[in-house]
Amino acid sequence: MADQLDLEALDTADKAALERLIIALADTKRLLGIRYSDWLIGAPSIETGIAASSMCQDEWGHARLLYAMLKQLDKDPGPFERERPASEYASTTALDEEAPDWAAVVALMVLVDGAATAVLTSFAEGSFDQANSRVPKMLAEEEFHTSLGAAWYRRLADADGEARTLLTDATSRILPSLLTWVGTDDEANGRLVALGVIEDAEARLDRFRDGIRDLTALVGIDVDAVEPAGEWDSTRGRTSGHPAEEAVERARGDRNRALFVE
Amino acid sequence: MSSPGLPVVGRLDAGLPTRVSVHKSGGRDQWSAPLAEEPERPVEAVWAALDEVLDPEIPISLPELGLIYGVDFEEGAVVVRLTFTATACPCMEFINEDVRDRLESEPWIESVEIEEVWDPPWSSERITDRGRKKLRELGVGV
Repeated sequence: MADQLDLEALDTADKAALERLIIALADTKRLLGIRYSDWLIGAPSIETGIAASSMCQDEWGHARLLYAMLKQLDKDPGPFERERPASEYASTTALDEEAPDWAAVVALMVLVDGAATAVLTSFAEGSFDQANSRVPKMLAEEEFHTSLGAAWYRRLADADGEARTLLTDATSRILPSLLTWVGTDDEANGRLVALGVIEDAEARLDRFRDGIRDLTALVGIDVDAVEPAGEWDSTRGRTSGHPAEEAVERARGDRNRALFVE
Repeated sequence: MSSPGLPVVGRLDAGLPTRVSVHKSGGRDQWSAPLAEEPERPVEAVWAALDEVLDPEIPISLPELGLIYGVDFEEGAVVVRLTFTATACPCMEFINEDVRDRLESEPWIESVEIEEVWDPPWSSERITDRGRKKLRELGVGV
């Protein structure tokens, strides 16, 4: 574990870099929950739909805890959760659109959850005490997602015909931008690495690739040979574009504004 | 999930139930009468009070479930360090309200602060032996 981060000693740019990381992770968790929720009805079995429901619940719990970390930077999490337009969301690009088929959901389980887990593991072991204390519980919950995702990935990879093709296509589509997201090495990231908040890009990429290498190999994709892709937006800490407005309306809870209790 | 208004059909503290009891929220229909004045060992008394607060979904207490990580008491002010079984536990608000209501019923407690903690992460290993025994009697494997 790194020496504890002294928040009082951070300059404005350091705080902005930490804020960007927290929001990117929180937004990714929230949108991932929405993408799982899209398949609560329509999953291949009732049991799988229930599993998707549980994963959705977990992701939103993780998002809640992550947004709450903004209080340490003297920021009110409320506006970040409920007032930003889609264009300001920092969720990873793979979540911008609804998964078109179940194979794509499985790819999200393995690849997006895998990418978020790699970054969160690094964050948990860094110098920010809120990550040290809160992220391990998230990672414990993620173990179930990893198991389910891996089981489905193997099942579809072993299948003949369309299922395997859809899984291969989804993996090929999602992976390049995730490699960019996990492996960002821009100025803000450099600050966080220097502060011990997070590991450097190569270490994070190693974690990510190690977690998925054997699975993607099942569909003939060598994760070490895939090139990162996407135009980097250093303001938000993600590649260009943004999630669909309809998904962000749900993320913000636009229909429930009268019911907010916090 | 508790169902307010339904009759109580068993008491956990009078021996293990022969069937699942139905309790009011947090087991409040079984809470002890408040103490008239501050006890000699207030922290122990707070723990005892918390041990009467049942989880909303399974009828064992919050300490038995391993959710209470610590209690402080100073001049009438109580701080309860509390975790949840899951980061998106749907019963968070119920549990907080039950804890607050139970402790604030004591006249010697002037304020209750609930501090949500996640370190160390809760797992079923934190369930006490007494909690495990009750859960087994209810047919829940732990």
